Amino acid sequence: MVIDLQKCVGCDSCTVACKAENRTPPGVSYNVVMEEEHGEFPDVTRTNVPRPCMQCENPPCVQVCPVSATYKMDNGVVNVDYDRCIGCRYCMIACPYGARYFDFGENYDDEVVEAGEVTSPEYGVDRGERDGGESPVGNVRKCSFCTHRLERGEEPACVETCVGDARNMGDLDDPDSEVSEMADSSRAFQLKESEGTDPNVHYLK
Amino acid sequence: MATDQSSFEFAPGFVDDRLRTAWYALLGLLLVVGGYAMYLRITQGMQSTNLTSTTPWGAWVAFYIYFVGLSAGAFLVSTLANVFGVAGMHRIDRDALFAAIISMVVALLFVWTDLGRMDRMYHPFFWRQVTSALSWEVHAYVAYIGVLVTELYFAMRYDLAQVAERATGLRATLSGYLTLGRRATTDASRETDRTWLKRAGILGIPLAVFLVHGGTGVLFAVSKARPYWNSGLFPVIFIVSALLSGTALVVMLYVLRTRLFDDEPVDRDLLARLGALLAIFVVVDVALTGIEALIAIASLHPHELDTWGIIMFGEMSWSFWWFMVGFGWVFPLVMLSKRSWRRTPWLMALAGLSVVVGIVAVRFNIVVPPQIRPVMEGLPHGAYFPSLVEWASSAGMIAVGLLLYTIGAELLPLTPLDRGDH
Repeated sequence: MVIDLQKCVGCDSCTVACKAENRTPPGVSYNVVMEEEHGEFPDVTRTNVPRPCMQCENPPCVQVCPVSATYKMDNGVVNVDYDRCIGCRYCMIACPYGARYFDFGENYDDEVVEAGEVTSPEYGVDRGERDGGESPVGNVRKCSFCTHRLERGEEPACVETCVGDARNMGDLDDPDSEVSEMADSSRAFQLKESEGTDPNVHYLK
Repeated sequence: MATDQSSFEFAPGFVDDRLRTAWYALLGLLLVVGGYAMYLRITQGMQSTNLTSTTPWGAWVAFYIYFVGLSAGAFLVSTLANVFGVAGMHRIDRDALFAAIISMVVALLFVWTDLGRMDRMYHPFFWRQVTSALSWEVHAYVAYIGVLVTELYFAMRYDLAQVAERATGLRATLSGYLTLGRRATTDASRETDRTWLKRAGILGIPLAVFLVHGGTGVLFAVSKARPYWNSGLFPVIFIVSALLSGTALVVMLYVLRTRLFDDEPVDRDLLARLGALLAIFVVVDVALTGIEALIAIASLHPHELDTWGIIMFGEMSWSFWWFMVGFGWVFPLVMLSKRSWRRTPWLMALAGLSVVVGIVAVRFNIVVPPQIRPVMEGLPHGAYFPSLVEWASSAGMIAVGLLLYTIGAELLPLTPLDRGDH
């Protein structure tokens, strides 16, 4: 994924689309938009940096999981096996991007009628109604690049919804793809490059 | 040196019955309160805590590493007697081993409670990850408990056999079972025990130092995302503070048990030796923590500066100044500064208690501060103070440990029958 920060207007639609698509509970937001302010009045600029999971090439979260519940899939997406995860939260400690969230079992019952009735078929598994404290309650959750949508040949919800067309989805392994070209541009950078995680989310300055 | 009476009274435990009643009543109260908190924790899940996705580790993790440290420290004190043969230390080696086992049980109770899915506690034995320190740790803990139990068996078997043979009642029957059928009370059998005790101890030392407690430090130190933990010195400090808290625990237990259970005078030479050891560990702990802080601050890394700022001047800085520096370091050092004080049992018990309490703050100040400032600027800041359920369940789990220890101390020959002067 390549995100063009010059095109991002900071509307947070990606965050909303993500919550709607993945039906994430309170306190869990796979995608957030971080606002950075630079300079002093009157020369102030603001950059909006959307932050999904970086799907790192060398993911520290995978490295620390004691039960191998989180692992990298062939398509490069870092997966969480909700049926194996013990909820120790070591991966949240290890993630340099704060991209992982713990599911405390809360619901939007006060805000939305029948909030837990429909859940997202994350990683292609339909878990039905959210009740009885079953997984993913008590597990760690994160952005999966909408794996269930990718499997249907669709783009992740955040990419589809972006009003400024700032998000670009593609195959970084294919050197001729549009995203590869963007990721090679002189404007391109990754978050916390010095960590050695080699994120698969690239940004354009 | 074997005693040669044909029968004898074996009844360790509280000398004062009123004290016994009061102590069990207190533990009972803590267990009821803790049990209710545990019920809330299980029914409400992790919502019963004050943890968040910014601060995912809290009180339970802090207590877990605290008890692992207490165990490793107490175990290493026991090796002074049974591996290194330091004179006059035999009196406390079983006590130290027993406390080490109980501490590990309590530590594992804390990790278990901390799991988001308590029902999957067995998963780490079915699925592993070679690169995960936690995966290795789980196995190290099991192996370590195995070594501790083996050691306690060999340290105590000769006396168990004697009790089974010569005394009567519940204690004698229990002792008989615990000998596992090896009931010989000959000098040759005792020599065999000592040999195996030493072997298990030699195996246990690297296990405790590098894998169990050093490894627990590594668990934190490998987190590159948290610069405060990501330091080579970190696991070393873990080991030193473990030695510190373990020695303090043994000092406290020795004085209390000798006075309240055995009703005997405290061996002041032994006390002074343990006191000197404690003083050395305090100094090393202070020095290494100071070096760690200097390296962190000199790096000018914003995350490091912020974390140390939070520790020293933040909302919870009282825990650093009062508990860690005050109870953990300054107060015990003052108590240990005079030779005559080092030989005064109640002062040393107090110094021990002070360190045992102070190191709790050390563990909290390890776990919590680097999870306050978010890993990325623009993400929400954390704030954490344990919830009532976290406090009460912690008190309950600690009470489980105290209860197990007390029952053991009332039934088993933790004080050598020959008073350890062989």
